[in-house]
Amino acid sequence: MNELVTLHTQALRGEVVPGYLAKLARGLRAARLNNTYPDRRRVQGSLEAMKLAMDAGIYDQLYVDARAGLPNMASFTRVLTDHEVAGGSLSRMSDTAHYEQKRDEAEVYARLLDKRRYFEAIVGKPHAPLDEHRVQLRRHDPETGTAEFRLDLTKLDASGLYVRITIELTQVASAWRRKVIDLDSDGESAAANEAFHATVYRNASYDAEHLFIHMHDIEGVSVDRVQRGVIGPVLFRLPHAGAPIVPAEPEQGNPRLAHAWRRWLETATSDEPELVLCFQTDIAARDVREEKSNDPLEDLLSTSIQDSERARYQHTRERFPFKVFKDRKFVVTRGAEGLVRAVCEAAGTKNLIYRLR
Amino acid sequence: MSAGSKSIQDVMSRDVAYSGEGISVRSLEDSIHKERDVQDAKVSELKVLRERNVEIQTAMGDELKKLRKFSDYIDGTATKGGFFAGFKEILSYIPGLKSIAISKRSIEELLKQQYQVSATRVKEAAGYCDVLKQSEQELYTEINRINGKIVEAAENERRALEYVLELRGMQEELEAELQSVEAGSVEARKIETDQDRIRALLAEHSSNVQLYGAAENRYANLKENTRKLAETIRNLAQDIQQYTTAASIKLDMASAQIQAIGRAADASVVMLEMKKSLDVMTESMNVTTQFVSDTQIFFRQNLDRLVEELETFDEGTSQLLDENLQKSKEIEEARIQAAIDKAMKRKEEGGAGGADAAAPSEG
Repeated sequence: MNELVTLHTQALRGEVVPGYLAKLARGLRAARLNNTYPDRRRVQGSLEAMKLAMDAGIYDQLYVDARAGLPNMASFTRVLTDHEVAGGSLSRMSDTAHYEQKRDEAEVYARLLDKRRYFEAIVGKPHAPLDEHRVQLRRHDPETGTAEFRLDLTKLDASGLYVRITIELTQVASAWRRKVIDLDSDGESAAANEAFHATVYRNASYDAEHLFIHMHDIEGVSVDRVQRGVIGPVLFRLPHAGAPIVPAEPEQGNPRLAHAWRRWLETATSDEPELVLCFQTDIAARDVREEKSNDPLEDLLSTSIQDSERARYQHTRERFPFKVFKDRKFVVTRGAEGLVRAVCEAAGTKNLIYRLR
Repeated sequence: MSAGSKSIQDVMSRDVAYSGEGISVRSLEDSIHKERDVQDAKVSELKVLRERNVEIQTAMGDELKKLRKFSDYIDGTATKGGFFAGFKEILSYIPGLKSIAISKRSIEELLKQQYQVSATRVKEAAGYCDVLKQSEQELYTEINRINGKIVEAAENERRALEYVLELRGMQEELEAELQSVEAGSVEARKIETDQDRIRALLAEHSSNVQLYGAAENRYANLKENTRKLAETIRNLAQDIQQYTTAASIKLDMASAQIQAIGRAADASVVMLEMKKSLDVMTESMNVTTQFVSDTQIFFRQNLDRLVEELETFDEGTSQLLDENLQKSKEIEEARIQAAIDKAMKRKEEGGAGGADAAAPSEG
C-alpha cells in the first residue's frame, strides 16, 4: 500500500482504512476551521461517506493522493456520484425489511442490504464538491459605476489539497455594467465572472500574493482582499503487518515538512495511527497591518525572491497597496506532536497545535 | 355385512389425503396464472431495463463523442487551425458553453466535470447489475417453489392412482358379488348402491389423476421458462458487471492523470501528455459503450425470443384448460379407464423396479 498504483495515487485497503478516515474526520473537527477554509462539514461528510462505503464493502480500496495524504479525486468523485444515483437506486431497490429477511438466503441480498443502508445513510447529507464557484454582489452603486463582488472558489486542487479562495474586489468600468444587469435574484452572476473564475481557478495552486497581483492587473478591477484556506497536506503513519503505511510522495506536498517527517519516521515505533494535518491560511489584503509569515512551512515571497528579481518585485509591490499574512495550524496525534513542535520552533513561529485524540 | 363389504365401506369412506390445497380445473388455472404473473413481472422489469439501456447507450455515445473530439483536437489532427481553433467546437458539445470563449474556461475544470459525468454513467449502469442479480435470485427462489409444486403434484397423482386402483378392485369384487345374489333382491340393490358410489369416487379421483398429472407437466414447463429467464438475467448481469468494473477501474486510474493534465493544459504546457491521458479515459468509455452495444444485441437475440416463447406457452396453457373443461364430461369413462391403465402400468413398473412405489399407502 506504500507503492503508487498510478500517478500520485496510493490504494489503501483493509483495516487501516476506517482508522485513517475516522481520524481525518475527527482531525477536521478538532481544527476549528472558520469560513476561510473549505466547508468543514461537507468535507467531513464525504470522509464519513467513504468510511460507510468501505465498511459496507461497496469499494475494495480507498485511493489517496500520495503527495497530499488526502483521499484523491477518484475517492471524492465516488461520494459525489453515489449521492447522484442514491435516490434512483433506492426507488428501484426492495425495502430494508425484505433484504433483512432474505440476507441469509443468498449473498446478493446481504450485499444489497448493505448498499441500501449505505444509500439511506448518505442521502441528504452534506458532501464536498470537486469544484464550487460562487459570486456574490456585495454592493452596487449605479451612480458611480462601481460594484463590489465576493468571489468564492472551493476546489480539490490538482496538487491533491482542498483549497478555498475568497476574493473581494471592486469593478469600476463600463465593461461590468452589462454584467451587473445580468445578476440573478440571488445576487450571483456567473456569466459576468467567467473570466475571473477561470483566472482564479487556473491560479488556485499559487499563493494569495500571486493571485492579488494577477487579479489587480486586470483592467477595471481593484482587489481588496484575497484569502486562501487550505486543507492538507496530511501525513500519516498507519500500523500494518509488515511495514507501516505512509504517504509515498510527501516531498511533493511540502518539502520542508516531508524532510522532518522522514527523519521522524526513522525512530517512530508507535502501534497507534499517527497523523499530522496541516491547515494553512494565506491572506493578501489592504487591511493586513504587518507583512508576516507565521507559517513554519512556507515563507513570504519577499524573503525568498532571488536578488536578480528583487528590484522588479519591489516595483510591482509598490503599485499595489496590500500586505501578506501567512499562517498555519496543525492537528496532530500524540506521537507526532513533538515533530510539529520542533518544526515550528526551528522556523521561529508560534502556531496553534491541536491534539487529535 | 360380509368382511368384503366392510372392506368396501372402509375404502369408500376413506379420506384420501392429498397434500396442498385441493385441485380443480379452475384452481390449477389460477395457480398457473399466479406463477406466470411472477414471470411477467420479471419480463416487464427486463423491458424497462432494455429501454433504460437505450438511454444509457445514447448518453455514453455522447460522452464518447465529446472525449474523442477532445482527444482529436488536442492531438491537432481534427482541424487545420490546431488545438485552440477546434476547441470552440468542443465546447459546443458541453451544455451551456456554446457562447463562452475558450479563454474563459479552465481545461482542468472541464475535464473534471467530464470525469464526474462519465463516472456517474458507469455507476448508473452498475446499479442495474444489482437489480438484475436480485431478479435472478428471486427467479431461482421461484424455481424452488415450482419444484415443490411439481413434487406435490406428482405425489398427489400417485395417491390418486393408488386409490383409483383400489376402487377398481372393489368394483370388480362387487360385480362378482352381484352375480352371486338374486337380481332385484335387497342385497343386489345394496351392491348396486355401492357400485354407484364407487363409480362416483372413480370419476372424482380419476379426474384428480389427470389434473395432478397436468399440473406436474405444466409446472415443469413453467419451471423451464423460469430457468431460461433466470439464465438470461444472469448472463446479462455478468456482462454488465464485467464491463462496468473494467470501466470503473480505468476511470479510477485516470483521475489523477486527468487532474494533472488539466492543470498542465491550463498552463499550456504538456499537450502531448494530455492526449495520452484522454486516451485512457476514452478507452474506459469504449469499454462501457461496447457493453451497452453488446447488451442491446443480447436483448434483441434473447429477450424478444423469450417473451415470444412465454406468450406461446400462455396461449397453449389456456387452450388446454378450455379443452379439458369442454370435453371432461364426454370422456369421463375414457379418463377413468386411462387412469386405471396408468395405475396398472405404474403398478407393473413398480413390481418390476420397486414394489414400494406402487403399493397402496393404506388398507
